[in-house]
Amino acid sequence: MRTLHAAWLVAFKDLQLELRTKEILTSTGLFAILVVTLGSLAFYTDPISAPDVAPGVLWISILFCGILLIGRSWALERENDAVFGLLQAPIPRASIYIGKSFSALVLLFLVELLLVPLCLIFFQIEPSGVMLPLLALVFLGSVGFVSTASLFSAVGIRTRARDLMLSVLVFPLVAPALLASAVATRELFAGASWAEIVSWMRILTAFDLLFVGFGVWISRHLLAET
Amino acid sequence: MKLDFEEVSVAGLAKSYGPTLALAGVDVGFKAGTVTVIQGSNGSGKSTLLWLLAMLAYPTRGEIRYGSYSVKHADELRGRIGFVAHQLQLYPGLSGHENLVLAAKLQGIGYAEKRATDLCEALALGEYWDRPVRTYSRGQAQRVSIARALLHEPRLLLMDEPSTGLDEKSTGSVVELIDQEKQQGSIVIIVTHEAKFAGVVADRVLYMDRGRIVEPRV
Repeated sequence: MRTLHAAWLVAFKDLQLELRTKEILTSTGLFAILVVTLGSLAFYTDPISAPDVAPGVLWISILFCGILLIGRSWALERENDAVFGLLQAPIPRASIYIGKSFSALVLLFLVELLLVPLCLIFFQIEPSGVMLPLLALVFLGSVGFVSTASLFSAVGIRTRARDLMLSVLVFPLVAPALLASAVATRELFAGASWAEIVSWMRILTAFDLLFVGFGVWISRHLLAET
Repeated sequence: MKLDFEEVSVAGLAKSYGPTLALAGVDVGFKAGTVTVIQGSNGSGKSTLLWLLAMLAYPTRGEIRYGSYSVKHADELRGRIGFVAHQLQLYPGLSGHENLVLAAKLQGIGYAEKRATDLCEALALGEYWDRPVRTYSRGQAQRVSIARALLHEPRLLLMDEPSTGLDEKSTGSVVELIDQEKQQGSIVIIVTHEAKFAGVVADRVLYMDRGRIVEPRV
């Protein structure tokens, strides 16, 4: 209970800062629009092949936006050494990881709410019947990605090569979830029903539980000394 | 549960960062109701000692005891330690008051808003408390940082160059605050280069050189 309360305080602080500056949402949102627009112009061929290309463009956008967003979110903690203010509080270390991950997930999902319809429009995919399962897939894929990236960002507080480390370590780790997400999205665009993509959602949920659980467990050690 | 302790003792404390030895074996004790000032040249290990006492870093060897408690009780002990670091550790996008409210809530203070407001008034932060910290001068931000360290009425108060950037009047109010903490029985440890400030607040002055506490040079 104490952990969740402290996590909420950390997340609320991040969202409060973002509401004030809109710095992360603006930069990430514009980047998302750019990637989807470029992707649709570069890879679009015809309405039949478009659903095969769209999942790749969508998930690459999510991945890059996520890295950008999480990097920026942890940069706020490094400014003025503010994270040490959090580390001085008598709260479980895991609450900092949970709070940072939650706020990043909320912000990434807001960007995805812009990204998903844009992708459907640019690739001329009929949204009816696709929108809800797609948002569910995007959400599940994002949970695993954010929990992994936040973990390595926490480690990166004391590392100079933090951006390199984030990219080099996070991408291979999230590859299984990314592949599952991209394949499930492709099947959805090809006309698969909810029932047919449920198995992919189960894989994504298992990945999410594994990484969130591991992140919560290991963060108390990673953040013990910074 | 609020842990209580009457002294902090340091035994054989060493800290290295890779090949660099920041502390090379420090043995010292600090008693309640006393103000200890630590002086020494740059890189002598003063700030490292404060970071270890604040449990923001762990020693390579040696031990710190807070009365009968050790770092095994780190989570609870953090609720009894206030730390004013050289980097002020405030969120520039939040106002001074918001920074204090966040810190008070994280400290588990039930009346966080009121406590933050009271401290803002006590430290005369009233004029600028609702402006983002990034618009503050060094001295103004320093006062917010000091207020944050005092929010939870710490038993151990650690201050790294607390008078940096403060004008004479503000330095005077910091001296008063330190005196109040001393009267209340807190253990106060201050790192400062300013001899005049040290002379006013210190009950005891320690000198550090190359990671050790040494005899003062005459």
